[in-house]
Amino acid sequence: MKRITKKLTSALDQGFTRCHDCGYLIKAVTQSSCPACFSTLHPRMPNSVQRTTALILSALCLYVPANIFPIMTVTQLGFAEPHTIMGGIMALIESDMIPIAMLVLIASILVPLLKLLGLTLLLLCVHYRWQVNARLFTRIYRIICFVGRWSMLDIFMISILVALVDMGGIAQIIAGSAATAFAAVVVLTMFAAKTFDPRLIWDHQTQS
Amino acid sequence: MSSNFEACPECDALLNPALPIPGEKAHCPRCGYLLQRPRQQSIERTLALSITGLILIIPANLLPMISIKIFGSSLDGNLWSGVSALLKEDMWAIAMLVLLSSVLLPIVNLGLAFLISLHLFIKKPSSHLTHWMRWLQHLNEWAMLEVYGLGIIVAWVKLSSLADLRFGLGLYAFIALLIVNAMLTIELDGYLFWQRIRQLSKKQNG
Repeated sequence: MKRITKKLTSALDQGFTRCHDCGYLIKAVTQSSCPACFSTLHPRMPNSVQRTTALILSALCLYVPANIFPIMTVTQLGFAEPHTIMGGIMALIESDMIPIAMLVLIASILVPLLKLLGLTLLLLCVHYRWQVNARLFTRIYRIICFVGRWSMLDIFMISILVALVDMGGIAQIIAGSAATAFAAVVVLTMFAAKTFDPRLIWDHQTQS
Repeated sequence: MSSNFEACPECDALLNPALPIPGEKAHCPRCGYLLQRPRQQSIERTLALSITGLILIIPANLLPMISIKIFGSSLDGNLWSGVSALLKEDMWAIAMLVLLSSVLLPIVNLGLAFLISLHLFIKKPSSHLTHWMRWLQHLNEWAMLEVYGLGIIVAWVKLSSLADLRFGLGLYAFIALLIVNAMLTIELDGYLFWQRIRQLSKKQNG
């Protein structure tokens, strides 16, 4: 790909707006709708920082009950035992299923936590106009977007267990209250990643 | 109003459009974003794969995927039984989320991919094309068949020590659907699709 000038400039600086949906580039920054696909045009996502902050804070609040309360209750021969997310991982480790335990640990504890921390870092970078390696920060954003959906693993696993193990008092698995909180964390962080505009990282960099 | 330039969606760098040939990739020189990845016969392949997916999604939803045997009583499970079991326990929020991400949105996405590629294939302009394409882009990340597949594996490992598990025909259909879905994601060239949609709507408006 040829570079236009030696130093790349942002489209907005040159008076262009890119349609977020179809990618069409328009020589205007005030036009309201895309001439090609008719969706609403914004040079940058509106209130991106505020919306992402709000979603992250909500997710952070729900992250606590998601980890404290039982995510499912396992009944075996009349004996009911509540499991938290961490408890489920411990049970997998005890029964020597380390790879699967690692998988669940990454998907349901590390990924949500790293997503929250990562997005907070990106927000701080944009808010305080840090001079950073923007390429690296964009890559962090891309990773956050990619891994988000994999946290749903625990929710799907519970839905399968709940459906299959349903024998009354002999053997039964019931979803717990933490499951709803955890699902909300996953959905909220996915929305948070979507509302964050990575172009904001580049906007205040003095050299690109 | 239009221009010969394009902009990177993730860093807003103003660029000259790259013209990669199928098999090549065009990355943004500033942030490394994958701008274009043209495929050979993207429209035809998307059409074929979406039809295959729409056929496979029927057995994947209706046939039992896993059957379990505990203490002599057996139970069949498919994609829907998780949803209905959660609804029975009044966990309607999770039930809806599971229903959307494992059943409804995969169907909607395959349907949209089918409609768009069919219209582009027979070159029939439609005022809905831009809406369909936009919905497909926004809903894509909420269809989580592959995550569900991983969930099946973890649930399987957890239960295998307690109970006797059997594969059902539905599981084979589901695995085939996963493969078709992954291929569809690779073959659908969004850049080309938008270009063709624009050309069609220009033709329609004279």
